[in-house]
Amino acid sequence: MIELVNITKKYAGQEEPAVKGLNLLVRDGESCVLVGPSGCGKSTTLRMINRLIEPTAGTVLIDGKDIRETDPDRLRMGIGYVIQQIGLLPHRTVAENIAIVPRLYGWPKDKIRERTDELLELIGLDPETTRHKYPAQLSGGQMQRVGVARAMAVDPPIMLMDEPFGAVDPIARNHLQDEFLRLQSVMRKTICFVTHDINEAIKMGDQIAILDRGELVQHGSPLEILSNPANDFVCDFIGYDRVVKKLSLCRAGSISRKDFCLIRESELPAAAKKMEEQRAEVSFLVDGKGVPRGMLTAKWLKDNGSAFTPKELKALASQGHKGFIQEDTLLRDALSLLLELDLDYLGVLKGETLCGAVSMADIRQYASGKEGD
Amino acid sequence: MKWSWDRFWIAMLERAPGALYVHTKMVLVALVVAAVISITIGILLTRPRLKWLGGIVLNILNLLQTFPGLAIVALAMPILGLGFKPAVFALIVQGLLPIARNTIAGLYGVDPDIMEAARGMGMTKGKVLYEVEIPLAMPVILAGVRTSAVYVVSMATLAAYIGGGGLGDLIVGGLNMIWPDFIVVGAGLGAVLAILFDRVLGFVEKKYTPLGYSAE
Repeated sequence: MIELVNITKKYAGQEEPAVKGLNLLVRDGESCVLVGPSGCGKSTTLRMINRLIEPTAGTVLIDGKDIRETDPDRLRMGIGYVIQQIGLLPHRTVAENIAIVPRLYGWPKDKIRERTDELLELIGLDPETTRHKYPAQLSGGQMQRVGVARAMAVDPPIMLMDEPFGAVDPIARNHLQDEFLRLQSVMRKTICFVTHDINEAIKMGDQIAILDRGELVQHGSPLEILSNPANDFVCDFIGYDRVVKKLSLCRAGSISRKDFCLIRESELPAAAKKMEEQRAEVSFLVDGKGVPRGMLTAKWLKDNGSAFTPKELKALASQGHKGFIQEDTLLRDALSLLLELDLDYLGVLKGETLCGAVSMADIRQYASGKEGD
Repeated sequence: MKWSWDRFWIAMLERAPGALYVHTKMVLVALVVAAVISITIGILLTRPRLKWLGGIVLNILNLLQTFPGLAIVALAMPILGLGFKPAVFALIVQGLLPIARNTIAGLYGVDPDIMEAARGMGMTKGKVLYEVEIPLAMPVILAGVRTSAVYVVSMATLAAYIGGGGLGDLIVGGLNMIWPDFIVVGAGLGAVLAILFDRVLGFVEKKYTPLGYSAE
């Protein structure tokens, strides 16, 4: 647990403090993303946690203990630290770089070697080929991974990350973020993460703390912040697509409805009647194996009455044959598909089988709903 | 002025070995002492507490570098007298400058991000200096030693004027007696020695350049 109590930092020769009376709590196993425009004090705040910068006033507590009671070098050995520029030692091999902190702890050679290989495998690099390489021989993404591995070498409970994925291209960044989330879901480290990119904050953070000119403007979960931005600054910072961003926090399975019915090809002429009986707005056409082939909505049938031959009905239904998503699809992507196919409903699949339906109206309701609705 | 092969061989076989030995000894002693002093100065001046002094000292060193070598040797005489020791002292003074300058430049040149990462992992200031700063600055420091070595080898020929001995004896003797053969032997061996020092130190410099750099 990291607790910042009334932290203020004023640099010598500057009128305005870089950080003003900041209070923040990061619970165990939780990641908190400090986000804000450049110069908002987010990096300063992070560096006050490992005493690379000493606050002018206020206290930092780690697990309830004032960090000033610990020797700064000792304190830093116990906290993983990753920076944007990575800072791998260019004259040391990958393995030697990862071994820095274990060596400071005086681990025996065998144990260091074992741990190094384990970490290289964890971050998806082949120990045999990578171990003896120098940083200059790695790609940007690989260096960044080694940087993360180095910070995790002694398995510290706390990690401080200052724009750790800022220096790589967008595709590699996305990949590294996903990988890190996967690792974090197992490791459950207490993480303080700094970024200027709100999308990264939404993706990486259990909690987001938005800073502006040294002050904490809003602190909450991504959903809270996207649903109830505290003020205009937060709104502007999030951007015009706030609602669409919110849609990326929710998966289709969690808002899907169950009032749909399944029809087989032979039942097509009676589809309208069956839907009415089951009070379903939408029905999905399935083949003999239960694999979805198309859909019919109550609206389509109503607009055209019973003027359809079974053949026409089948053609109508198969217009929606692409309108199926997996239950873990993000609502944002579901919305995109709805717009692309010009449909009102999407079938939600669990593997091959239908488990629900999502409509345009459902997404609209989720998007406009405030937290707690 | 007449060339004599007899005197040439006397110079080569009887005088040169002793002169070369004294010359090399003078150069090595001066170089080692100069390196120790100026690397220490360079390290001290790049510590945060003395950083403000660094720029000033660097400027003074640049200025001192422009003093002619003969002037320094001449100035050492009234203070320290004649012989090997004052000659070495003069050489040390002249040898300090390039090494200190390169040490400071090399240490300033270490990427601050690498140092921040090292500090952030819990390395003590001393460890950062020994394991990060000095190894990374080493190629630049060694380049300074190399420059200094070439200076000192050529400067050491002036030591003969204050009784320091070395190859300068052959040159000064040759000039006084108008013996071109002596001058050629002294100057030629001086040049060979300078080239030799330069090559050897160049090899050391290459060897100490971190492999990670050469891979770039």
